[in-house]
Amino acid sequence: MESIVSSQRMKQSSNHRSVERAQPWLGTVVSIRVAGMPAAEAQDAINAAFEEVAAIHGRMSFHDEKSEVSRLNRCAFSGPVQVHRQTLEVLQWALLFSSRSEGCFDISVGGELVDWNVLPRPSGSFRLPKGSWRDIEIGRDGGVFFHRPLWIDLGGIAKGYAVDCAIERLLSCGVSSCVVNAGGDIRVAGRQPERIALGLQTAEGTSPVVELSEASIASSDSGKGRKQSKQKSVQRYGPHVHGIRRSPVPEGRFVCVIAERCVVADSMTKVVLAEGRNSGEFLKEFGASAYLHDSSSGWEHLGSEIDVP
Amino acid sequence: MNVKARFLFLPLGAVVISGGPAFGTTYLTVEQAQSILFPGAAFQPDSRTLTEEQVKAIERASGVSVRNKQVKVWKVSTGGWFLVDEVVGKHEYIPFAIGIDDLGAIKGIEILEYREAYGGQIREAGWRQQFTGKRAGMRLQLDKQIHNVSGATLSCKHVTDGVNRLLATYETVLKSSVR
Repeated sequence: MESIVSSQRMKQSSNHRSVERAQPWLGTVVSIRVAGMPAAEAQDAINAAFEEVAAIHGRMSFHDEKSEVSRLNRCAFSGPVQVHRQTLEVLQWALLFSSRSEGCFDISVGGELVDWNVLPRPSGSFRLPKGSWRDIEIGRDGGVFFHRPLWIDLGGIAKGYAVDCAIERLLSCGVSSCVVNAGGDIRVAGRQPERIALGLQTAEGTSPVVELSEASIASSDSGKGRKQSKQKSVQRYGPHVHGIRRSPVPEGRFVCVIAERCVVADSMTKVVLAEGRNSGEFLKEFGASAYLHDSSSGWEHLGSEIDVP
Repeated sequence: MNVKARFLFLPLGAVVISGGPAFGTTYLTVEQAQSILFPGAAFQPDSRTLTEEQVKAIERASGVSVRNKQVKVWKVSTGGWFLVDEVVGKHEYIPFAIGIDDLGAIKGIEILEYREAYGGQIREAGWRQQFTGKRAGMRLQLDKQIHNVSGATLSCKHVTDGVNRLLATYETVLKSSVR
């Protein structure tokens, strides 16, 4: 009897059309798709997941002067600042990646990004930034303190983290099959493999596609270089800063990183863009796999080997 | 760890982004967006045509140009307003809905359709003819659709601009409305 009921339930769940919605958050479009569930329940789960994303957006926006990131940039040099558990988690991930990449990944590049017109100058009174990730301290009570004035920007990690939180919320609502996509930072949960096209046109006349199951993917490119411009309003370089050199990462690279968690995939793209094939060991340390495309040398696999779906 | 991944190369013409109509993804109809943003409410159509004066006021307040003087608005029975508008994305228009509560704050924003997924590389589905030979390791289920793109820059700046324009529209046109 039990096996008849469970197979009926399986039949029922496969009869439900998938539900997908999209909202603008985190500077991009975030879409959430749920499969195998009645539409009303799916919508409730999607609502809950978007609430997670919205809250992270509010806390971690560089642009919003009321966000926790802005509060840290204004106040954490003067004394420890208490932040939400999620903001703390992102900072902890960021510091871990910084220490393992010897500073190649560094969230304190806000100053450079403002100089390059990638980010707007924060309004209000901010001391000019001087330090690096090494100046970020998290006290035992979770208070965040900057030993030197810093402008941290979580743009290179918050999307991936938000995707993970959205997936976890969906799973806690009983969803078994779902995809969350935050502007190309994607995580897939459920046994059904998902195909994802990479946003890169290559001269070889083929489209690279990754098939994923129970994994995350994030991609970045370092562009074809921008004209140097003295105009204040024009973006002078791309958005990726080499954390150690504090200069733009090498041009002409496209990378996609595959890992279990999207926060890992998202952050790793920056290191692979910056360090290229030297990032292999760093990727392996986090169980991540990357495909790097360089306009001169084509595709290369780096990091861990991953099972095929 | 359950992570599984495979890297494939498909001929350019074979990459078809799923969804429809017109190779896009329809997330919500107007009615569905209404019931998500204002559950249980009734909606009274109250669309407006902006005067030149109103257009100038909205542009001044939001810093965003008004391309279309028609504003699609519904008055919400439980309070607030529901608006539908569209902004220009990279390649296509992006229709979206916004709920504004009776204090003028945003209740929520829902994108109704999204056709930006792969920019100009969206192709017709007549690509199957290309797959006459078999290639080792590439025995694909060719009808498996591709629903997501990673790495193409997707900015919501236009949507954000559109929202700011609609908030200014609310302030200028709807807030003091007695209709």
